[in-house]
Amino acid sequence: MAKKITVVISQGQSQNPAKRKLEEDLVGALLMEAGVEVTLVPNLYDLAPDGTGMLCLEGISGDMVVVSWHFPRAAHWTLDRHGIRGRVGTTLLVSDDEDNEEDDEENVEEDSQDEADDKDRVIEQREVPARTIYCLDFRACDTAEPLVEEIRRIAAETATETVDLMSWIDGSPKPEQLDRYLNPNGGNGNGHTEKTPVATPAQPNIIDEKAERRWYPVIDFSRCTNCMECIDFCLFGVYGVDTSEVILVEQPDNCRKGCPACSRVCPENAILFPQHKTPAIAGSEEVAGPLKIDLSQLFGAPGKDAVEAAVSERDEQLMLAGREAVGESVGIAKRRTGAVDQPKDELDDLMDELDAIDL
Amino acid sequence: MSDALVFMMGKFEARFPTDRQYAKNHMWAAESGGVTRFGFSAYAVRLLQDVYFLDWTLDPPAELAERQLIGAIESSKAESDLFAPIAGRLTGFNAKLLSDPSAINVDLYGDGWLFTMEGDGDGLLSPEEYMEHLKAAWKLAERTIKGQMNE
Repeated sequence: MAKKITVVISQGQSQNPAKRKLEEDLVGALLMEAGVEVTLVPNLYDLAPDGTGMLCLEGISGDMVVVSWHFPRAAHWTLDRHGIRGRVGTTLLVSDDEDNEEDDEENVEEDSQDEADDKDRVIEQREVPARTIYCLDFRACDTAEPLVEEIRRIAAETATETVDLMSWIDGSPKPEQLDRYLNPNGGNGNGHTEKTPVATPAQPNIIDEKAERRWYPVIDFSRCTNCMECIDFCLFGVYGVDTSEVILVEQPDNCRKGCPACSRVCPENAILFPQHKTPAIAGSEEVAGPLKIDLSQLFGAPGKDAVEAAVSERDEQLMLAGREAVGESVGIAKRRTGAVDQPKDELDDLMDELDAIDL
Repeated sequence: MSDALVFMMGKFEARFPTDRQYAKNHMWAAESGGVTRFGFSAYAVRLLQDVYFLDWTLDPPAELAERQLIGAIESSKAESDLFAPIAGRLTGFNAKLLSDPSAINVDLYGDGWLFTMEGDGDGLLSPEEYMEHLKAAWKLAERTIKGQMNE
């Protein structure tokens, strides 16, 4: 029997008919694919931690493809935050805003291990389940065909990974999972296992969760070094540490809507806000260096570097919450002093040149 | 609908009810049950056309400065940031628009309201003043939207 792969389709928030059509076309096309099981959820990032959407995704044990309107990194680590973990699958589709040839960097996990730097990434100390999660970005395609092609390729790739298949079989799937596996076209977990005619198109598994808009940071643990700058910087109690002293987004809903300040102070660009409109903050692979630079300075906006922007965003949120602004007095001293000791890189040189120009 | 002033956007009649005030950033303001509701004027909606997606970048209640960034909108014709029409206290958003923003197109002066604010409305314009504001701004706008109006 051929192994099935689950494709999770995360619906966008926009009612844009072109976007809706792309989602519908993909679902329609995938239902005709033999080795594919389709699950439709509301916008992945908005799913409640204990809602039916996340519970359903937790129930998927094998390899998984997730197609969303987020950058692949953002989708992967949003799932990770909810305990839905796996290796980062390498996709050949590249998102908008990432048009550079960056295939080598797609597999962040391997990359960070191969990197010459000696920083310890949190992911190296973690156990990752022996399955792969492939995250695809709807924005990489105008039509469903390239997505379908890529999912076929992934399905073939995972089907040949017999080690994975064996580990799945060796595991102990829940009865309803086994049922779904044995009876993919109609199984609903109630022990119904009669043979369904092959020609009948499958039905998608539709999760009807009323997903309210959410706003919280997502940590990319393939980049995070557990340096604790974020927990020092955020004054709203979003961050905490787990039992092994590893940083954690402990209270996501304490986060201040629209505020991406902690992402700007993260030295490793490990903190994502998937809904932020700046690609580097939303999880684009394309990131220049330790600090994100806002080029609007060049185009005449009042000058602010990333730390200054973060400090003023935080002050704004503190005042909105009826608290007092703290400026640079809290949570950033480490950064400012530490930065001086590091040798200058090309980016620093560029910045020096920019500073020299009277903008 | 109550009496309305008309502004011609090309061949399109944009109507502005006289029972409310207007902000220079093309929103209307009207008292409703003790609070002031704000929504897009017909001028803004005509430029946007079908609204697909509305997002707010803060949670109410919030003290806002005039022209502070408060959200973003996607429509068939535009993607734009949205800004506070006046300084004051933002007290609530029209939650229904988040899942389905089509009321902005269907009933822009009613169910399509965007948010409620408390604050000093001295900077708001009367319908007549808003007409003058539109006339002054129209020449520039016309050039940028010409293609869209002719579709």
